[in-house]
Amino acid sequence: MTSGSILRALRPCIGLAIVLTVFALHPQAEGFLSVYNFKIVANQTVIVGLAAIGATFIIVSGGIDLSVGSIIALSSVVCALVLRAEYGVTLAMVSAIFAGCVCGVINGLMITMLRIAPFVATLGMLGIARGAAKWISGEQKVDVPPAALESGGLQAWMSNRPDPEWLWFSPGVWTTILLALIAAYVLRRSVFGVHVTAIGSNEKTARLCGIRIERTKIAIYSIAGACAGLAGFMLCARLTVGNPTAALGIELDVIAAVVIGGASLAGGQGGVLGSMLGALMMAFLASGCKMTGSATYVQEILIGTIIVVAVSVDVLQRRRA
Amino acid sequence: MVAVSFACIAMGTACSPSPDKTGSGSGDQATKARRIAVIPKGTTHEFWKSIHAGALAAGRELGVEILWQGPIKEDDRNAQIDVVESFLAKKVDGIVIAPLDDKALARPLREASEAGIPVVVIDSNVAWDGRKSFIATDNYKGGTLCADALATKLGGKGKVAMLRYIEGSASTEERERGFLEAMANHPGIEIASSNQRGGATTASAVSASETLLGRFGDLQGVFCPNESVTFGMLRALQDSGKAGSIVLVGFDASPKLVEGLAKREIEALAIQDPVKMGELGVRRIVDVLEGRDVPARIDTGVTLVTADSMNEPANARLLDPDLSILDK
Repeated sequence: MTSGSILRALRPCIGLAIVLTVFALHPQAEGFLSVYNFKIVANQTVIVGLAAIGATFIIVSGGIDLSVGSIIALSSVVCALVLRAEYGVTLAMVSAIFAGCVCGVINGLMITMLRIAPFVATLGMLGIARGAAKWISGEQKVDVPPAALESGGLQAWMSNRPDPEWLWFSPGVWTTILLALIAAYVLRRSVFGVHVTAIGSNEKTARLCGIRIERTKIAIYSIAGACAGLAGFMLCARLTVGNPTAALGIELDVIAAVVIGGASLAGGQGGVLGSMLGALMMAFLASGCKMTGSATYVQEILIGTIIVVAVSVDVLQRRRA
Repeated sequence: MVAVSFACIAMGTACSPSPDKTGSGSGDQATKARRIAVIPKGTTHEFWKSIHAGALAAGRELGVEILWQGPIKEDDRNAQIDVVESFLAKKVDGIVIAPLDDKALARPLREASEAGIPVVVIDSNVAWDGRKSFIATDNYKGGTLCADALATKLGGKGKVAMLRYIEGSASTEERERGFLEAMANHPGIEIASSNQRGGATTASAVSASETLLGRFGDLQGVFCPNESVTFGMLRALQDSGKAGSIVLVGFDASPKLVEGLAKREIEALAIQDPVKMGELGVRRIVDVLEGRDVPARIDTGVTLVTADSMNEPANARLLDPDLSILDK
C-alpha cells in the first residue's frame, strides 16, 4: 500500500471518529454513546448500507446508479404484495431481490447494448421503477397482513430487540455486515473484482487486455439491483408497509456514502468497507443532529458540506500524488 | 480535512436552535425539567408551526422542556421512525406525535411505551391501542358542516361536485365521507361528481379542477377537503372567471385562501385548531406523567368561517395564529 492509499482508507475512519467525538462531547446529546443508540443507528444504516454495497461496484467501474431509490420502493411493494398473497416471508424476500435484480439487468442492458451513458440509463430506470411501483400497488401503500409480521417473522428482520437476544444486532444488520465482507473480498481479491476496477480505471485498456466489458457491466448492475432489492425487503420489514413513494432521493445518500468512503466518481478506486463506514457516519450524524435538537436543515447542510469536503480532499491528495 | 469537518460540525450544532429551556417552578429547581418530544409530520407547513407554537406555550406554562423534531424528509415514514428511535435513545419523558402512517409507526411507538415512555397521538390516528390519548379534529364532523353550509347557501337545491384529495389520506377521506353522508339529507342537491382527485400537489389540483369545471359547465357549488385542493380549485375558478359565482367551500387556511374568503370568492372555510392540538398534546402527556386520567379521544373542533365572520377575534386567531413564540 502506498501512503496515498493508506490515507484514503483512513479517511472514512477519521470522519466517523470526528462525528462520534463531537456528539459524545455535546452536552445536549445525552444517550448518544449508549449501547441502545448504537444498535438503532446500525439498524438505520441497513437500507443505505445494503444499497451502497452494490453502488460501490458500479462507482468503482466508473458508472453511476440513480435508480436505487426507485428500485428499493418497487421491491418493498413487491415484498408486501407477496406477503399479502400469503406466500411467506422467504418467498417475499426472494421476490424482492429478484425484482431488484431484473431492474439491474435492464440497467446493464441499456448501458451495454444501447450504449446509453449510465447516468441517463439509470435516470430512465428511476422513472420506470418508481412508476411500476405505483402501478402494481394501485397507487396506494400496501399493508403487510398482521400474520406475516409476528408469526411470519417479517418484523424480526429489522427489530431493535432481536430474538434470541445474544444476536445483539437485528438480522438485517448482520446480513449487511456479512454481505459487505463478502463483497469487499470479491472486489479486492477476485478476478471479477479486478475486472471491475480495470474497467473503471481505463475501459479501453481493459478491453485490449481481453476483459469482456459488456458481460462484466451487466453483472455489476445486476448485483447492484439485487442489493437494492434486498434493501427494499428490509425497508418493508422496518415499515411493515410496502410504500411506492418510499426511499425518495435515497440514491443521493447512497452515492454520498460511497464517495465519503473513499471511492472516486472517476472510477477505478473505492472499497466496500469504506462505503459502509461512510453510510455509518451519515447515520450517526443524522442521529446526533436529532439528539441535539438541530433543525432538519442543519443536517442537510452538514451532510452536503461533508460530501464536498471528502471529495475535495480526494482531489487534493491526487494532485499531490 | 479534520479541521474543516470539525469546524462545520461545531458550527452546525452551535447555530442550531437550542431546545426551549423553560424555567420550572421555583419549588422544584433541584429536579430536572421534564422533557417532552413533539414529533410533527414535517416542519415547513404552517399547520405544523402552529402545533409547535401551541406545544411551546403549554411547555412554558407547565415548566417542561419541549423537544421539537420532524423527519428530515417531509412525509417520509422511515425518517419519522428514525426520529422516534432517537428520542427513545435520549430517554425523553413523553412523546407527542402526529404519525405519518397508521401502521408503520405502530412498532416504534409500542417500543416507546414498553420502555416506559407514554405516547399521546395528535392529528392522525395510529393502529395501536397503547396510546394514552388521541387528540385531533373530528374530520367527519368537519365534512358534514361543509355540506350543510353549501346546501344552505344554494337554498337546498342545485348541482355540486366534490374534488377529493389523494388516496389513503385518512383525515381527508373522513371529511369526504362526512360531506357525502350529510349531503344525502339534502335531497334537492345533486352530486354531479365525487370520484375525481386533486392529487398531492397544488399544480395537480389546479389541472384536476380545470378538468372538472370544464366537464360540468353547470355546477353551482364545489367542496374541496384540504388546503392544496381548495387552492387549486380557487385558482381554476379565478382563471375561468367563475370565482364568486360558483359557491366554493374549502378546508384549512392559508394567506391566499383567506384573501379569497375576504373577496367572497370562497363562501366558507372549515378551520381546524392546530395550536390547540399542540397545546393539549403537551398538557395531556403531563397529566399522564403526573398520574391523572386522560380521555381516550379529544376533539379539538372545526369552525366554519365565512367572509362575514372572519374578523371576529376568535376566528381571526384561527385564520392567522400567533406564532411569535417560535421566534423567542
